Amino acid sequence: MNYFAGIDIGSTMTKVVIFSDTIEASLIGPTGPEHRKLANKVMEETLAKSGLRFEDIAYIVATGYGRINVPFADRQVTEITCHAKGLHHLLPSVKTIVDIGGQDSKGIKIHDGKVTSFVMNDKCAAGTGRFLEIIADSLGIPLEKLGEISLTAQSAAEISSTCTVFAEHEVINKLASGESIANLVAGIHESVATRVYALVKKLKIEPDVAITGGGAKNIGLVKALEGKFGFPIMVPPEPLITGALGAALVGKEVYQKYAADGQMPTRSGRGLEEAKLFS
Amino acid sequence: MTYVLGIDVGSGYSKAVVCEDTSIRSFAVMPSGGDYKEVARSVAKKALSELGLSLNEVAYTVAGGYGASMVDFADHSLTDISCHAAGIHHIFPSVKTVIDVGAQFTRAIRLDDAGRIANFILNEKCAGGSGKFLQTIARILSMDVSEIGDLSLTATKPVEFTTACAVFAESEAVSRIAEGAAPADILAGLNKAMASKIVTLVTRVGFAPDCAVTGGGAKNNGLVRAIEEELTATVFVANEPQITAAFGAALTAFEKFQTR
Repeated sequence: MNYFAGIDIGSTMTKVVIFSDTIEASLIGPTGPEHRKLANKVMEETLAKSGLRFEDIAYIVATGYGRINVPFADRQVTEITCHAKGLHHLLPSVKTIVDIGGQDSKGIKIHDGKVTSFVMNDKCAAGTGRFLEIIADSLGIPLEKLGEISLTAQSAAEISSTCTVFAEHEVINKLASGESIANLVAGIHESVATRVYALVKKLKIEPDVAITGGGAKNIGLVKALEGKFGFPIMVPPEPLITGALGAALVGKEVYQKYAADGQMPTRSGRGLEEAKLFS
Repeated sequence: MTYVLGIDVGSGYSKAVVCEDTSIRSFAVMPSGGDYKEVARSVAKKALSELGLSLNEVAYTVAGGYGASMVDFADHSLTDISCHAAGIHHIFPSVKTVIDVGAQFTRAIRLDDAGRIANFILNEKCAGGSGKFLQTIARILSMDVSEIGDLSLTATKPVEFTTACAVFAESEAVSRIAEGAAPADILAGLNKAMASKIVTLVTRVGFAPDCAVTGGGAKNNGLVRAIEEELTATVFVANEPQITAAFGAALTAFEKFQTR
């Protein structure tokens, strides 16, 4: 049996998937400020979980925002490609992917698991996980509770500011003037959904639509997005690992292509080491 | 001898200027806080007390700015844009483009030869080009906003920021600090990011020389320099750029008083 690892270093979370014909093990850890020092640790833990040794892995692909900081990866692939690949494996009927990450949001159109077009916002915090994080923080609510809290809202509070900085003030002012937390949370989901929909709309949206990234774990946000899209949005069982899974799948393809010609792909030759600064 | 009062209640600071006819006699600046009605009175009294005057001795009062409607003792109120235009035209009659960098909003105003407003754009959608942006970064570096300018001018390798989003720039600044970038280089990079955001606004309103920068942001000489570089033009800065709109309000008060 050949094993392939995908490692996705996002701005907020680091994800690892080990794949053979199926997902052998997966792990999610915070990226933190020193992500260079982290890739090897998360990899190590995932190996321990799967009962495999580093030497057992036939090919490693790194993806995501911090992909250049994985010295032991054999190849770096963009997260757009990996998301498409991973999602197609999980939900083959999907044609449009909405990815809401910690510091960006994306829309990806796919055909047979290949990217046909994509749009991305990483210039403005509005419409990204960062927006939700900041507002959750100022309301004193854990990020992962937002979804469930918003479901108890009577009506979504109107948040007129787009900018995260201004919206934070607006939310605090509204809270001070008696608006309920649930209504405010529903309001910020509405705000993120509006931004994300405006972004993804630039592509020709075709069902089925699926959502990935941390935003997919927020049921309130998914429901707000469904309201904008006008049809149901599919959520994979573990939406955070789609990119890492895709990376492992890309690794498997590369490996098999070489193997078909009776060759072995070139490896990085590096062990489970930390990345050097600016390497 | 006529004393007139101009008040500018901004989103960050409130300013009052007392003029004798059209000459500034005293002024005061204080944080706006949460009670605009109260701060308007306080800042007015502070400026007046320097001259031993009380509100009753003021012939005419004009209020402008974000909280102008809360100034219950004003005889007249104006938009902040009109106040800026009046103030800057009096200080620098040749100025055609005014950039006001306020605490929460940045405005670009085009004036005609007579100092009338020809066009203006307000950036109220994004904190990227506003004072808020500088406050955020100053907080991370545990310094006062007023120290940013001088320090940024000592930069040797300004850090390149990939975005002018106040939220993302904050995390970018933190990452650069972790990598050992000098505060001066970070600040110079931020001034540059902010200047490019501001100049986009200026381009949209239609740039014409001469140009002046007003508002609290004008006190950041590093930002002013960065704006000059982006515009490839010299910009004027008044001695007290933060009170430009309040001065404009006072000038309007004098005019109103004469034609009343």
